[in-house]
Amino acid sequence: MTHGAHEAVTTSARPSAYGLAAFRGGLHLRKLAAGAVLPLLVILLWQLAGTGGSLFGGVLPTPDRVASAWYTWAFGNRGMGMNPYSGSWFDSVVFSTTRVLQGFAVALLVGIPTGIMIGWNRLVAGAVDPALQMLRPIPITAWLPFAIAVFGISSIGAVFLIALGVFYPVVINTTQGARHVERNLVRAAQMMGASRLDILLRVVIPASLPSIFTGVRIGLGTGWTAVIVAEMIAVKSGLGYVLWDAYYLGRMDVVIADMATIGIMGLLSDQLILMIERYALSWRLVNSNR
Amino acid sequence: MARIEISSLAKVYPGPKPVNALDHVSLDVAEGEFIALLGPSGCGKSTLLNILAGFESKTEGEVRFDGQPVGKAGPDRGVVFQEAALFPWLTVFDNVTFGPRMQGVAKPVYEKIAHDMLALVGLKDFAQAYPSQLSGGMRQRVGIARVLVMKPRALLMDEPFGALDAQTRLSMQELLLEVWQRLKTTVVFVTHDIDEAVLLADRVCIMSARPARIARQIAIDLPRPRSIDDLTTPAFIRYKAEIMQVMRDAHPAKAIAAE
Ligand SMILES: Nc1ncnc2c1ncn2[C@@H]1O[C@H](COP(=O)(O)OP(=O)(O)OP(=O)(O)O)[C@@H](O)[C@H]1O
Ligand SMILES: [Mg+2]
Repeated sequence: MTHGAHEAVTTSARPSAYGLAAFRGGLHLRKLAAGAVLPLLVILLWQLAGTGGSLFGGVLPTPDRVASAWYTWAFGNRGMGMNPYSGSWFDSVVFSTTRVLQGFAVALLVGIPTGIMIGWNRLVAGAVDPALQMLRPIPITAWLPFAIAVFGISSIGAVFLIALGVFYPVVINTTQGARHVERNLVRAAQMMGASRLDILLRVVIPASLPSIFTGVRIGLGTGWTAVIVAEMIAVKSGLGYVLWDAYYLGRMDVVIADMATIGIMGLLSDQLILMIERYALSWRLVNSNR
Repeated sequence: MARIEISSLAKVYPGPKPVNALDHVSLDVAEGEFIALLGPSGCGKSTLLNILAGFESKTEGEVRFDGQPVGKAGPDRGVVFQEAALFPWLTVFDNVTFGPRMQGVAKPVYEKIAHDMLALVGLKDFAQAYPSQLSGGMRQRVGIARVLVMKPRALLMDEPFGALDAQTRLSMQELLLEVWQRLKTTVVFVTHDIDEAVLLADRVCIMSARPARIARQIAIDLPRPRSIDDLTTPAFIRYKAEIMQVMRDAHPAKAIAAE
């Protein structure tokens, strides 16, 4: 039977190739190009509709003005009196992204195990689920005063809000996944002598992964919402802070550049999660990518 | 190889409308015997098998496995499910070695057995494929292989080929005959296909509609080894006719649907 063993080893390259195909499927150039048509058209019309660099009586700057403000914001010299944002774009992006990552990490570290336990164990479900369901209807915006009162004007308050915003979708989707593991998969594992811990680690968690990823992707959206809200009020740095500040100073060009930045960051981070998901769940996607 | 003794086994599924699924069923299976449980849909075949497997509790009666009351599900009773129930996130090889790994069998030992079993079911080239890359019949072969690697004392199969097309089903029946001829494991095989029951089993137990009892047991004295060529022999047809008659008597309206 050594012959059989060799054969199996040589075939091992095959599925990983499928896995890679699934991985690559994410960013397809032609799809990307097709998707860019509509936004470019809107930007063009917006540019053409403007007179003297703005629309609606000076309220809305045209795209070229936004682009030049964005350029100064990103690459201008710091500390030039005329433009308080000059050269600070990267800092703002880093501030906000760091907060999102921190809140996100806390939410996943707490949310995924909590969700698994609620879905898997009736006792935990009975003890934790009702409290969660009671707290969940409180929107994260309603937690703002609480966060400021407890954490002060600080990054921690913002991270708390982000973590909270990400936590709910993650915990709810993870719970769904762990609760609806196919019964025969659990039975099969029992039949093969798996302990309760084995079943949790080797059946319930992998079976819940698709739902967990759904929760994580929804959570990422709430995370970016939360960071902007928090920075507008509870911290004095980051994209949300600049957004609100620029509005007060009447710098709509910066406001729009900021909004576009947030959109791009949200999109990029979602694509990143999607790539991780495709890789982690390649066993599920093998057929559709063949 | 194991002996199974079931006496006055009753099962009531509790609830607002309790379901009386098994009504004092008694059945003995000898060591190395292949028995088929035949009956219409909903008559309690799966319930009986799930109690044997240890997935479901009994309400009354006794179920003994090699003289011992059956307990929790375990590797001594290998279960083959209708939809294979493979772990989709594991390769075929990892699915097949799942049982031995759970039981702490040494890697070189289980790797060799797993390769042998994959060869036996004709899947040695697919060791590193994922279940989603396999056809229904291939998945079911993996389901059989992963049970065989544990060297179970009995095989419990719940309509394992029920979801397969006719062609695949025939080849799976041949495969099972071949495997059983070599290993001579005790098998309890649930089906509602009369041909399948007669072709495979030493004894066909026909269950009546709910609450289920064993309406009749018919020993199948066709010579072994058998193959799908037997399906058309006069002796085979005589058994088939006899079983159809029993099923018609046991539940007149449902007999046709049960075929
Ligand atoms: N978990 C359960 N709770 C309540 N009733 C159940 C449960 N499982 C099965 N039943 C009922 O018990 C009866 C027997 O079901 P069982 O699944 O054993 O039938 P079966 O013979 O395997 O049918 P089929 O051929 O369709 O698989 C059915 O009426 C079914 O509705
Ligand atoms: Mg059934």
